[in-house]
Amino acid sequence: MKVRIRRYDGQKEWWQDYEVDVKSSDTVLDVLNKIREKQDHTLAFRLSCQMGSCGSCGMVINGLPALACQTRISELKTDSIRIEPLYNYKVIKDLVVDLNEFVNKHRSVKPWIIRKNPEELEEAPIEFKVTPEQNLTFVQFDYCIMCGICLAACPTVAIDPLFLGPQALGQAYRYIADPRDEGFEERIDILDDSHGVWRCHFAGACSYVCPKGVDPAKAIQFLKKEILKYRLLHKKKAATKPAELVEKAPPPNAPKPPPFDFKFEGGV
Amino acid sequence: MGEDKKEKRYKTGLLRSLWPYNFNAERYSYTLHRITGVILALYLIAHVFEIYHFALGPVAWEQTIALLGSLGIWEKIGLWIIAGSALYHGANGLRLILNEVFGMLLGKPVLPEYPYTPTSLSRNQKIAIYVILAIVIALWIWAGLYLLEGLGII
Amino acid sequence: MPGKYSLLKESWIMILMYTLALIMVFVLTIHLLLVSPLTGKTFDQVLTYSYVLDNLTYYRIVFGLLLYAAVIHGLNGLRIVLIEWLHIRKFQWIINIIIVILMAILLAFGTYTLIVL
Repeated sequence: MKVRIRRYDGQKEWWQDYEVDVKSSDTVLDVLNKIREKQDHTLAFRLSCQMGSCGSCGMVINGLPALACQTRISELKTDSIRIEPLYNYKVIKDLVVDLNEFVNKHRSVKPWIIRKNPEELEEAPIEFKVTPEQNLTFVQFDYCIMCGICLAACPTVAIDPLFLGPQALGQAYRYIADPRDEGFEERIDILDDSHGVWRCHFAGACSYVCPKGVDPAKAIQFLKKEILKYRLLHKKKAATKPAELVEKAPPPNAPKPPPFDFKFEGGV
Repeated sequence: MGEDKKEKRYKTGLLRSLWPYNFNAERYSYTLHRITGVILALYLIAHVFEIYHFALGPVAWEQTIALLGSLGIWEKIGLWIIAGSALYHGANGLRLILNEVFGMLLGKPVLPEYPYTPTSLSRNQKIAIYVILAIVIALWIWAGLYLLEGLGII
Repeated sequence: MPGKYSLLKESWIMILMYTLALIMVFVLTIHLLLVSPLTGKTFDQVLTYSYVLDNLTYYRIVFGLLLYAAVIHGLNGLRIVLIEWLHIRKFQWIINIIIVILMAILLAFGTYTLIVL
């Protein structure tokens, strides 16, 4: 099978063709590994878990951003594969892109639980109850593995690198929808910016390419709804109620197991 | 990365952002929404000044109409494109208001299960897009026939 | 620095955008119907001075509403496209001011047209 790879070595960019023998069960990542092992050890790409849970091997395969380890050759249904680094990112080498900006955007929306009283998080005499129904309102957006594929698909990121991007906004909604979180006002100051949530125009490409079904586009539209609700009605995240504070249950007095009797019966 | 500070982003920019090939229907509608929006905004600027000539009296108005009429069929084609832009931008804008303000047509948050079909791009959304396209194209053809009527072509 | 270089909070601008969009759905429909085949005239006939004068004076409020809604919605849309495309936070206020000036000019011309008739 013919594989075309976009190469970059710091100075020049070029397309390089490889001819690889593939099995029908191979993924694109297997093909890249074969090239690196047998043909060209200078080819650079990221990989780690090879099972779609670390998000390292995001790249553009035949014009569509995807995880290389989750894309089977047989699924592509083409005679040749064209592999490029993720769009809209700075390329470091070959298929390795610079994710610094992406991680900083994620960090800027405060992706952690904010309580007004921080002691509640540090040494909690209490626990926060989240019912399965409440959990279902945000757990989908919690599946994000930070592969950065959504930003490669987003048309706004293509013209506006300052835009926070689907990943960061999706994570912001994940924490805003969390019943334990109290940082709504703190976060919407960051989100309600000229390069924040309103620069999403719902092209939906992020959800289309997301390899984990996180559906960031849905999260962003819900986020817009929450912000409008807050501005117009001064209502904070009506989707879920703040969690109740429950006194932490004391460790149960479990009955001690009966002592085991080490006694040999019989003998040699 | 110190020596050469020519840090170029890969395949980014205006054309890339408006090029939805390979992607979903929503991204096509984004491209159309944006292009029609810019067409309408630029037309609006011209249109306000055009109508301003109306306030200057009948003679100035007839002159303006004659000037635009001298473009011949291009005036009609331009107006046809603008009519289509307005129809599409309006209809698709209503869908976006449903999505963004009311959170409709998106589905509920679910537990993602393979093969991970996003509910925000699901059947309801597709139906909305195709209904919009059908209505817009029907009205657009109607507008086109009306505009060409005056030229004696039809 | 959220909001530092903008005149209004983005969410209020978007609330304005959505509201004006909904208003425009109605008033623009009226405007388009007045130059549509439903009037029983050909396209050249709907552009004659007397017909336009009748409409502009009879539907003065509708056209005034349309003018303000369209100018604010349209030029703000252009502003959004521009700040996304040029994306320099430091010079964003220049785009904002150009757009506001353009809005003021268009509204002045449009309002003059509607008042003077």
